[in-house]
Amino acid sequence: MSPGVGRSVAQFAVVFRMLFKETTRELAIILGFTIVFPVGLLFFLNHLVAPDLRSQVLVGTIMLEMALLNINALAQSIGQDKQTREFDLWVSLPISPVVYVLGTAAVLLPFSIVSALITLAVAVGAFGLAIAWTTVPLLLLGLVLVWGSTMGIGYLIGVFGTSPRQISANAQIIGLILTLFTPVFYPVSALPALLQPVAYLWPLTWGAQTLVAILDGATRTALVGGIALAVYVTIWLVVIARGPRWREA
Amino acid sequence: MASGGPLRGTATADRPAEETVLRVDGLSKTYRSRRGDRTANAGIDLEVRAGEILALLGPNGAGKTTLLRQIAGQLLPSAGRITIGGIDIVRHPIPAKEILSVIPQECEPKANLTVEEHVRYFALLKGADPAGIRPYVDALLTRTGLAAERNRLVRELSGGLRRRVLIAVALAAPNLRLLLLDEPTTGVDPEARRAVWQLVDALRAERIAVLLTTHYIEEAEYLADRVAVIDHGRIVAEGSVDAIRQRLDHAGRLEVRGLDHLTPAGRALLDELERRYPVGFRAGNTERLRVADPFSPAASADLARLAALGIVASLGPVSLEDAYLALVGNGRSEEGG
Repeated sequence: MSPGVGRSVAQFAVVFRMLFKETTRELAIILGFTIVFPVGLLFFLNHLVAPDLRSQVLVGTIMLEMALLNINALAQSIGQDKQTREFDLWVSLPISPVVYVLGTAAVLLPFSIVSALITLAVAVGAFGLAIAWTTVPLLLLGLVLVWGSTMGIGYLIGVFGTSPRQISANAQIIGLILTLFTPVFYPVSALPALLQPVAYLWPLTWGAQTLVAILDGATRTALVGGIALAVYVTIWLVVIARGPRWREA
Repeated sequence: MASGGPLRGTATADRPAEETVLRVDGLSKTYRSRRGDRTANAGIDLEVRAGEILALLGPNGAGKTTLLRQIAGQLLPSAGRITIGGIDIVRHPIPAKEILSVIPQECEPKANLTVEEHVRYFALLKGADPAGIRPYVDALLTRTGLAAERNRLVRELSGGLRRRVLIAVALAAPNLRLLLLDEPTTGVDPEARRAVWQLVDALRAERIAVLLTTHYIEEAEYLADRVAVIDHGRIVAEGSVDAIRQRLDHAGRLEVRGLDHLTPAGRALLDELERRYPVGFRAGNTERLRVADPFSPAASADLARLAALGIVASLGPVSLEDAYLALVGNGRSEEGG
């Protein structure tokens, strides 16, 4: 590991610790609700769908929570920092924008993962969803990739927004569109033929496909999906490192 | 007065032979939009040396904050060059930011972190040694007068203490060589303002260069080794406080107060004085007349005549404020009026 990368990793750890502490102090109760919110949705959706689609419903539920929370939280954090002029303070620090964005985005990742595990446990315990517990580590890896693949969306909404209210509205609308209008609650094959290639432009499509494949033990599909998600993560890291709106033009 | 090019005054003679920490050459910033271009900074040259405090004075919209944000690496210049410790901040932002700290205007620290957490985390981000972080933070908290508040959340602090937290955060940089302060005492009470001034003043001994913007003339007079006056995006004068004062073509001022309570005799006397001394400044209830020599018998006699009519007046040397108002045009607009 080069000294530059090592230093960035150390800085990321500091940013994460700082923001995690701040966020949990400020939002403890809301974060508690956030963790259990997907379970209710899971009950509802499970009631509607055929048993063979249960793994898809489980994945859709987890994806909705993770994508919405990730996009919303990151965009709103940046909006808040811009409003309080703290963003200027971050920009003037000797850190890469990637460190700031990863640190800010990672704050809610532990909550998303706990939420996903609770949802998974409910799906197994209450609905009899059969999964091999050895897939859990792979599932966690998949969730981290899903988180990373949506990170840039939150960043761009945050830095290009003009006010916290606008950023919040944009994040919620875009997050909902991404989760409800992309095939996360249903397979890609359920889309009209014309839309199926378009769906693969969205990271959430790959995310859902990967997680379903992990649950179903479809190794090859999971691997392809994982690679696609990793490509998204890389693209976002490059975009963020180039820092659009980090230093204003 | 204030005609001709920017004043460089006696800067060279005033300043010790310290190394230049901040150098700004030909800096310009133009904001482009569909409604048209707006030039916020135009051809600015500036330098601040180690252990020197430079105050940037200017009216609202003069381009002070734009200049500071470019120096801090928050805003990209349209033209020109900025180096900090010899490092170009546009081309090499991270090494340059290692040696600078900034307190943005109206910035708020994080409400749900403690004072100690603020200083510790920011120090680590700016390269403090994790192994020695505790004594480093302790020393900073003591120095900034925040030791007693170390475990309090920022949301529990007064505005003045929050400002001090930001200063502590700015100083939490082991390699600090340049401190940028954007209106550091705006909105704080006089006591807190004094505390901030003392903290900034003490940086001189550590050879830290300071560039601050301010609306408060007394802040510049108290703190600054040199003053740069910016107006319409250009530096219109730069030099020591004395050098800028000497730029005026008069040495004194006769200040008359209570203009709206003048008796007919008082009004007549003031009319007479206005014919002999140009009006340098008039605002509300107060008028300042330009007096060539405030210690001359004639000026003293005029002061006595005003006092005899019960008019509140004072005679003294010109201040930085007089020079500032003349330079940025406020004085000119009132002249002869």
